[in-house]
Amino acid sequence: MTEQIHTQLLGRDVSLNVSGPWLAYWLVIMRLAVGWWLLHAGLDKFAGWPFDASWFIGGAAAGTSLGPFVTLFSDGILLSFTNVMIPLGQTLIGLGMILGALTRLAAFFGAVLMLFFYFINGETGGWAHGLVTGELLGILIFAMIATLGAGRVLGVDAYLVGSDFVRNHPKLRYLIG
Amino acid sequence: MEQLTTADKIAAYVGGGLVVLGVVVIGLLEMLLGSGHPVDSEGAIVHEALVPLEIRSYIILLGLVIWGGYAIYKLVATTPPAEASA
Repeated sequence: MTEQIHTQLLGRDVSLNVSGPWLAYWLVIMRLAVGWWLLHAGLDKFAGWPFDASWFIGGAAAGTSLGPFVTLFSDGILLSFTNVMIPLGQTLIGLGMILGALTRLAAFFGAVLMLFFYFINGETGGWAHGLVTGELLGILIFAMIATLGAGRVLGVDAYLVGSDFVRNHPKLRYLIG
Repeated sequence: MEQLTTADKIAAYVGGGLVVLGVVVIGLLEMLLGSGHPVDSEGAIVHEALVPLEIRSYIILLGLVIWGGYAIYKLVATTPPAEASA
């Protein structure tokens, strides 16, 4: 089942044939892989509770380009909030990816989280692993999943997108797959 | 055939252009014109960058922020066409 996609990019005709089954297959594989990455990171922190992010947002982040914003969360109630929100966010993003539920919303926040990890890890370590790291590739995968609405393939979003509630509130399609 | 709007083009070409500039173009220049990137005994890359890493990372950051801003703009200011796949 080859689909023909008629489209333009940079003013040029870039129409192409795409294998429908393989496109759907890779959307699911990417969702599962990146979903497990985040779900594991979140569950691991809950398993080893309490989680303390102060070494990262108060220590590693200091002096990085995101430091002035991130270090605001390095003590008091904002640190307590962060200590819960990082594992909770990772778990929810991972679940969203694996289940294909609210996929675009989950992918957006996954990319935001990876943005922090990318810059803080990179700058703290003097970019010792280069500028193209797993975190940067994670941002790109999340962006691709959000753009393509990958949750509609074997995901909860396939059901949600056909529901009356979403039909009556079309903006929600920007949050689901 | 779906056409890109002005906002789509800014996100795709300016945002994506900055990411590609920071990652690929400057990376290629570093290889061709810069010094080597030896790996030390602990596996860390030793940089003597042609383009300061801070500037290169800010170029990538700006591209990523444009993409994120575009996503928020789409949600706030537009509505997907009926029956389309958003």
